[in-house]
Amino acid sequence: MADSLPTEFDVVIIGTGLPESILAAACSRSGQRVLHLDSRSYYGGNWASFSFSGLLSWLKEHQQNGDNAEESTASWQGLVHETEEAIALRKKDETIEHIEVFCYASQDMDDNIEEISALQKNPSAVTSKPLDSVCLSEETNSLHVTSSETHAKDTPKSDEEISLEVTDVEDILAEEKCCGDKTCINTASGGDKDENKPIEEDNTDQPKRNRITYSQIVKEGRRFNIDLVSKLLYSQGLLIDLLIKSNVSRYAEFKNVTRILAFREGKVEQVPCSRADVFNSKELTMVEKRILMKFLTFCLDYEQHPDQYQAFVHCSFSDYLKTKKLTPNLQHFVLHSIAMTESSCTTIDGLKATKNFLRCLGRFGNTPFLFPLYGQGEIPQCFCRMCAVFGGIYCLRHKVQCLIVDKESGRCKAIIDHLDQRINAKYFIVEDSYLSEETCSNVQYKQISRAVLITDQSILKKADSDQQISILIVPPMESGTCAVRVTELCSSTMTCMKDTYLVHLTCSSSKTAREDLESVVKKLFTPYTETEIDKEELTKPRLLWALYFNMRDSSGISRSSYNGLPSNVYVCSGPDCGLGNEHAVKQAETLFQEIFPNEDFCPPPPNPEDIIFDGDDKQPEALGTNNIIMAKPDSSEENKNPESPENHLQN
Amino acid sequence: MSMEDYDFLFKIVLIGNAGVGKTCLVRRFTQGLFPPGQGATIGVDFMIKTVEINGEKVKLQIWDTAGQERFRSITQSYYRSANALILTYDITCEESFRCLPEWLREIEQYASNKVITVLVGNKIDLAERREVSQQRAEEFSEAQDMYYLETSAKESDNVEKLFLDLACRLISEARQNTLVNNVSSPLPGEGKSISYLTCCNFN
Repeated sequence: MADSLPTEFDVVIIGTGLPESILAAACSRSGQRVLHLDSRSYYGGNWASFSFSGLLSWLKEHQQNGDNAEESTASWQGLVHETEEAIALRKKDETIEHIEVFCYASQDMDDNIEEISALQKNPSAVTSKPLDSVCLSEETNSLHVTSSETHAKDTPKSDEEISLEVTDVEDILAEEKCCGDKTCINTASGGDKDENKPIEEDNTDQPKRNRITYSQIVKEGRRFNIDLVSKLLYSQGLLIDLLIKSNVSRYAEFKNVTRILAFREGKVEQVPCSRADVFNSKELTMVEKRILMKFLTFCLDYEQHPDQYQAFVHCSFSDYLKTKKLTPNLQHFVLHSIAMTESSCTTIDGLKATKNFLRCLGRFGNTPFLFPLYGQGEIPQCFCRMCAVFGGIYCLRHKVQCLIVDKESGRCKAIIDHLDQRINAKYFIVEDSYLSEETCSNVQYKQISRAVLITDQSILKKADSDQQISILIVPPMESGTCAVRVTELCSSTMTCMKDTYLVHLTCSSSKTAREDLESVVKKLFTPYTETEIDKEELTKPRLLWALYFNMRDSSGISRSSYNGLPSNVYVCSGPDCGLGNEHAVKQAETLFQEIFPNEDFCPPPPNPEDIIFDGDDKQPEALGTNNIIMAKPDSSEENKNPESPENHLQN
Repeated sequence: MSMEDYDFLFKIVLIGNAGVGKTCLVRRFTQGLFPPGQGATIGVDFMIKTVEINGEKVKLQIWDTAGQERFRSITQSYYRSANALILTYDITCEESFRCLPEWLREIEQYASNKVITVLVGNKIDLAERREVSQQRAEEFSEAQDMYYLETSAKESDNVEKLFLDLACRLISEARQNTLVNNVSSPLPGEGKSISYLTCCNFN
């Protein structure tokens, strides 16, 4: 690399996780000269997502972690002046532990198990399937009636409008059944269209199951975008607000989570949460529907009705629910799937969580959550792009050996990188995992237990559509353990290959990831074995591949727990265990305001459309375009959303 | 600008080594300027030019790398949903040509299979300093199934042609897709590639 790094910056940021990336964007946006570094070859740190082969190399790297002898004292010590001292940074990442991998898919090797190359444009053995999902286009004020009421959650911002373009009849049906899965967005050219379909067409009404082999997974590995953390975006959450405010949302695309599921008495069932869901539910009796609607409507503005809960503020939420005449399954739905709280949580916290869930409903669709296409790992990168657009300099694979502190002022003044180059700055932002053992010796870390599964079917099959994004909370099996959060992603999220599902399990650790999660995995899935293939009664999805690991949770650590950090060095934490991204956004904003108290946090950038030079339009007639069919494509006519079921709780 | 102002919208993404003239190509095409004022690109995410081809308005959204190519740190999301890629090298710089396979690997990994890739040798105004022969580049582009063109952003040679030809190809590709699928599926770039979250900016 001939180009050498500049050596003067305002802010040096080490680590490209979500909080660091948001900070980078914010600093750069406010005119600071930003250098953003990561020692890894990929963006995101523990927020990254990987293709299947990428994940395998990540695993390899982390499994080798242990047997790596400490390198001898580095050369940088000669570069530290007498008036300075150095704070060494960690050489190896130590945030990932207890990795266990299980492959259940048949490993009969095809001869060539390499990832399919995009350069062979249309591999002959592979038939491609026409676009089979619903596309949406932006429309001007065509949909979404704005209500000026306080609960006008259907209208995100004045004129963010969405309309449907339905591509075929099948989709219309699917669309109606799932009550307006309104926000699935497809890129018109990329998206599903380019997904190759290696396997025979699977007819949904025929329970024929595909056999996916390990070599197919490897071959289609590029189709996977496997997140190390499993999170969703609350549609009224801080991250969505920030993405919209800062215009970073233009770099990403999202799909709506389509289903909230519950696991009760050994069965997976769908939780009705919008008004339409409740009324359409076949599982609920008329009486239950009425009771549930009444309760949810109350939760939306529970503060207005203190008489309804005042007497129970000292009770647990689950005890409170029992007093509300809710049947046991309704209690389960509200407690675990809607409030998503532990049984022990207080009445007020439970009501608050229920209200938060309900107010996120209907902003973009039928559930309160969005998922980014290509995985959560895209999000930090989107903020990095924003930082770069405003002049931030990016350098992956760039290690930092130490921070240089001026003895007299006690402030950090520079870093020394792996090329022994000194880079000066005024402020330094470092992700927790880069700090040395010595710096962190007093810090008590929590752990997150994670499992990543590749399966062959959904945990709740539906005849209408196999393209569902579901979230399921499995309550603790025994007291003292935590609820397990399960997210199931379908292939149209661009995170797994056709005919597979990518399932993420997350809980805060009490033991190793496998010990914490295996019992849930066994309840929901069957390991893939050849002998079972023919059994027709086999209803559980089969496990093709499974990975368990523990990740350090460095959220919620007070700055004072770190030893000897100069005042102008700020620490960002790695991913937390929560479902949303609120912690990361809050941390970034808090740190930004601490460093630059008078600056605006991520204001909208100028619109590129405002800088159009229309120029003198040359007539491109002489361009040999005669052979283009001049008929206007029918798709250009606006396909207005046919009757969007916008019946959410808040009308 | 409302949706009715154009018949097609395409996202075109530029890649290639630092200093080969990517930004100059974009600025020359969209604004007719050369050299682009230094620093003027700060805060500019992409440039837009609407052209008319056989009576149809085609809006081209042209994205630049924001400098992230300098240290080989382009974000994957940059490639997502691009309809076309312009892979640029400098004909007076052997190194920029030799890096092309590396760029192709990135494309392969992150871009859509359907993306149209054009190879562009820029700076033909500096012909006396040429290090990469036209023949070599032609052979390379043929082997990789790419279109190939040589340009000069400075002299404005072939710059219009590059973007307008590309627009034509994108249109015919889009039409073909509709014919093949035999349904009125949306054409590439008809406004879907930008998230609905930002649509307020595009109306």
